[in-house]
Amino acid sequence: MTETKDTKKHRILIVDDEAIVTDQIKDSLERLGYEVIGTANTGEGAVQIARDNLPDLILMDIKMPRAELDGISASQIIKEELDIPVVFITAFGGEKIIKEARDAEAFGFLVKPFQDNELRATIEFALYRKNMEQRLRESEQKYHILVDTAVEAIITIDIHMHIVSWNRAAEHLFEYTAEETTGKPFMMIIPERLQSDIQVEMDRMVLTEEWDPNIKTTQTTACRKDGEEFPLEFSLTSWIFKDDIFFTIIARDITERKKVEQMKTDFVSLVSHQLRTPVAGVLGCIDNMLTGITGNLEPPQIEYLNMMRDISKRNYRIIADLLNVSRIERGVVSVNLAPVTLTDVLQIVDNRFQKDIQNKGLEFQIENTNPKIKVYADKDKLIEAISNVVHNAYKFTEKGSISIHCKAVGELAFIEVVDTGPGISQDEFSLLFSRDQILRGAPTVKGGCGLGLYIVREFLKLMNAEITVQSKVGKGSRFTIEVPLAGKHRTGSK
Amino acid sequence: MTDSSGLKVIIVEDEPVFRLIYKGVLENAGYTVLEAEDGVKGLEMIKKERPDIILLDLILPRMGGYEVLEKLREDNSLSAIPVIILSVLGGEENVEKAMELGVVHYRVKGDSSPTNILNTIQTLLEKK
Repeated sequence: MTETKDTKKHRILIVDDEAIVTDQIKDSLERLGYEVIGTANTGEGAVQIARDNLPDLILMDIKMPRAELDGISASQIIKEELDIPVVFITAFGGEKIIKEARDAEAFGFLVKPFQDNELRATIEFALYRKNMEQRLRESEQKYHILVDTAVEAIITIDIHMHIVSWNRAAEHLFEYTAEETTGKPFMMIIPERLQSDIQVEMDRMVLTEEWDPNIKTTQTTACRKDGEEFPLEFSLTSWIFKDDIFFTIIARDITERKKVEQMKTDFVSLVSHQLRTPVAGVLGCIDNMLTGITGNLEPPQIEYLNMMRDISKRNYRIIADLLNVSRIERGVVSVNLAPVTLTDVLQIVDNRFQKDIQNKGLEFQIENTNPKIKVYADKDKLIEAISNVVHNAYKFTEKGSISIHCKAVGELAFIEVVDTGPGISQDEFSLLFSRDQILRGAPTVKGGCGLGLYIVREFLKLMNAEITVQSKVGKGSRFTIEVPLAGKHRTGSK
Repeated sequence: MTDSSGLKVIIVEDEPVFRLIYKGVLENAGYTVLEAEDGVKGLEMIKKERPDIILLDLILPRMGGYEVLEKLREDNSLSAIPVIILSVLGGEENVEKAMELGVVHYRVKGDSSPTNILNTIQTLLEKK
């Protein structure tokens, strides 16, 4: 605000119909370090000089009886045309004059006679205000450019879900202009059948405290002006301005992404089915030979066939895993939840593994403290989940034992699968249940595709169950599956 | 083993390997086995032969398994014949759809061994 800071002198135009006043002010200004670029004694003269020389500020007399344009009218022209700040000077400080000056949006007001310091303070204040206004305007322009050049639709809505702003990308995406949408309900771009669901979803997104993009983003179907529907992804955040709550929605069309995803899952599922047929065929043939349908077999032939059978089974399981992942990702896995007696489930697991585990020279125990425990689960998927964990234990454990322990605590049943295998290192934990295990070359992948535990976790999720692991390298692993007990499960869970 | 002589099974299946497998295990158990390699032939054969049980694949040339099931259900004289689906397709939605069309059992090839399927057939026919 001090003139020492500005290397350039501020350029000022003085307008007054009395030459003596003009001269006095000119002297004062020059004393104060300003440059006077000219003087005028009429409004029209002031406009002309201002147009030609573009001063930084104009000191303007309000009353100029001999001029065509008085000070107020001239300042209005200058403001609209040139945007130069005007400070009024007058001999009278009456209410009426002050009001006129305020209506003309004056940057300052001086009553004659005035001192140098008054003059300087008024000028500096006017220049400062002008500078602030300019910067504010520029920042607003930058904001508008940013919003309008964004490729993503940016929509602001108020607490009543009415549209407040709508950028160019939104115009392009939804085919409504900003004028057509301002003040209208946001739901105009959501098909009617989805509106209540989206409302619930948006409430959830807003109410969550966590600043997590996954929580603040959702997908839906939206519709354009012509009624065409398309998949939309949008994020929602809220903000408060002067006690009013607003929401910003950033949205994008994900038609292409969906198409690629669909192609990917269709491809996996097609390939998996095509691969399954020959493997299942080979397995069936081997089974029939081993059953003796094709005649008696010599022991070496049986050994060879058993080997072929094991390999084919492994192959079959990998394909089944790929199929399961593809189904999980398409969201088409459904669960059939019902009360299931845990003992029955464990019996099936026992039948599946008893022989193989003992053949490997390992001990296999199932300990169930309460044979009446009933869980609320999908029986087949629970069997698959436990089998998968037991199968892993079987694969990795070279000596010692594998045991299953069950107990009911509170509202949960705990099924623990404990082995004396090599254990899992801490840094492998995070990858263990991930889909990308094999891609990262994890050493935990052995004789499979590393998708087993990912599938287990996803299946369990669908029945409100969880799986956790405790393990130490060299000390074996303990996988714990927590399943809701029947009769105590939360109602409405699915 | 149950005496299965005289009991007739029709296999509607386009993959020769599966016809071989199921025919093998069933004939070994004493069943009479007839084969059809597509849905149209299968339906004709079922109408003509009136089998005791049908093994039906889902993905078939000319007429798919679901359509065969619908045609069987429309015909009162055929709707009572038990049908077991043998498919490489798993999935709840397929099982559900087949069950709605009156299928007794749904087995995924590869998950169920031929012996396992034979046992299922024997249990079913014993009940009759």
